[in-house]
Amino acid sequence: MEFSYEVKDSYAEVKADGRLNMVSAPKLREFVTDVIAGGSNRIVVNLENTAFMDSSGLGALIGCLKAARQAGGDLRIAAVQPQVKMVLQLTSMDKVLTSYTSAEEAFSND
Amino acid sequence: MVSPPEIRRAVVIEDDPDIRGLLVRVLAKQGFDVTEAAAGLPGVEEVRRVQPDLVTLDLNLPDIDGLEVCKLLREFSDAFIVMLTARADELDKLTGLDNGADEYISKPFSPRELQSRINALFRRRPSPAADSANRSELERATEVQQSLLPKEDIRVDGYDVAGVFRPSRSVGGDFYDWYQTPEGLHLTFADAMGKGMGAALIAATVRAVMRSTGRRQDLDGAFASASKAIATDLDSSNSFVTLFHARLDAASGTVSYVDAGHGLALHVRSGGTAERLPSAGPPVGAWAGSQWPQSTLELAPGDSLVVVSDGVLDVFDSVEDFTEAVRSAAQGQDSAHAASSAIMALAPAETAEDDVTVVVVRRLPEQAAA
Repeated sequence: MEFSYEVKDSYAEVKADGRLNMVSAPKLREFVTDVIAGGSNRIVVNLENTAFMDSSGLGALIGCLKAARQAGGDLRIAAVQPQVKMVLQLTSMDKVLTSYTSAEEAFSND
Repeated sequence: MVSPPEIRRAVVIEDDPDIRGLLVRVLAKQGFDVTEAAAGLPGVEEVRRVQPDLVTLDLNLPDIDGLEVCKLLREFSDAFIVMLTARADELDKLTGLDNGADEYISKPFSPRELQSRINALFRRRPSPAADSANRSELERATEVQQSLLPKEDIRVDGYDVAGVFRPSRSVGGDFYDWYQTPEGLHLTFADAMGKGMGAALIAATVRAVMRSTGRRQDLDGAFASASKAIATDLDSSNSFVTLFHARLDAASGTVSYVDAGHGLALHVRSGGTAERLPSAGPPVGAWAGSQWPQSTLELAPGDSLVVVSDGVLDVFDSVEDFTEAVRSAAQGQDSAHAASSAIMALAPAETAEDDVTVVVVRRLPEQAAA
């Protein structure tokens, strides 16, 4: 899995490309924590190229969300693909992790 | 769940107390659990005792020489051996010999150089000692997981109940548990996040907590207090568990259930339709302040309650495909066990990466029950 980020006007966009599983989950958490530590507390995780997520991957997203809220900000997800969407719905986590069609849209209303 | 970082052990064999102290400090800073010896033979004994991942070995020792120590160590240890020598000319000679050491460093050395050489060694391949420790952890995790499954079959008048479980090579956190009650039965079906010993231990906690709340009559209250106890345990490990808990009233066929983030229970009707039961809230431990209202369903004669782990879901593209495949596998089987086996077969053992668990509670058709 490959991570990258870009600081935009009102948020930082994190891209996580590949499979978000037990191996990559701790790395995502570490990556996002670093971005937050770098001063961005409004994070959009762009999941456009995340084809698969398991329970460890979901755990990492939850951990990142907690970290962003802890820092006084928020974490939102964008461009969620079908398998990831399915995991979020089955686990009812779609009510906690808000998803948007694109990264630009995620913080557009606040 | 995130397993605790593995403890790596190192033994420093060095006669000069100042250099020994420095080595111990540098290695401890790198996260090693360090012990030391001031001479060759005590060093060999120390390595035998602690079975380290790394040994630093001085070439010139007061009792026997470092090369001899190295040879003795290689008879029983496959730790990385880093040899230290004060004489640069010896270094050239040594590196050309196959004497069992993995790395050579000449004195004086900078702590940073030592650190980076050691890091390089561990990057190249995991230490064999750690490898075998992982293997036995996997074996222990398998034992824990197997011990969670119900030992006996369950007999409830008018019902046929069966469960099947196939562990993956890496040991997930799946388990199911059931027991008879005066009214019928209680069923718990859970999957802890992650794999290995951590997931297995969380599963064990969940099973114990759910059993302890079995005597409470009100399901909502019982589940609320159980989830609170489990969440407290999970909080420190950044983990969560999906949990489906159901109580059957055998006489009426009423099933009261709570679903925390599982979402893979199905009501398969005798008429040939199936309805998936959506989860009522997030997994336990995932999000503070979550609530899970209970629901009920009526098992008519010939109907089944089927609960499946996500190991089966993984082979389908959508939940709809999954639901249809489970319905069709369960349909027309003459026992709950045959139905569970047919559902398990949907996830072929060769390709399944996760544990596969299936439980079927089938209410017998009226003529068979009579």
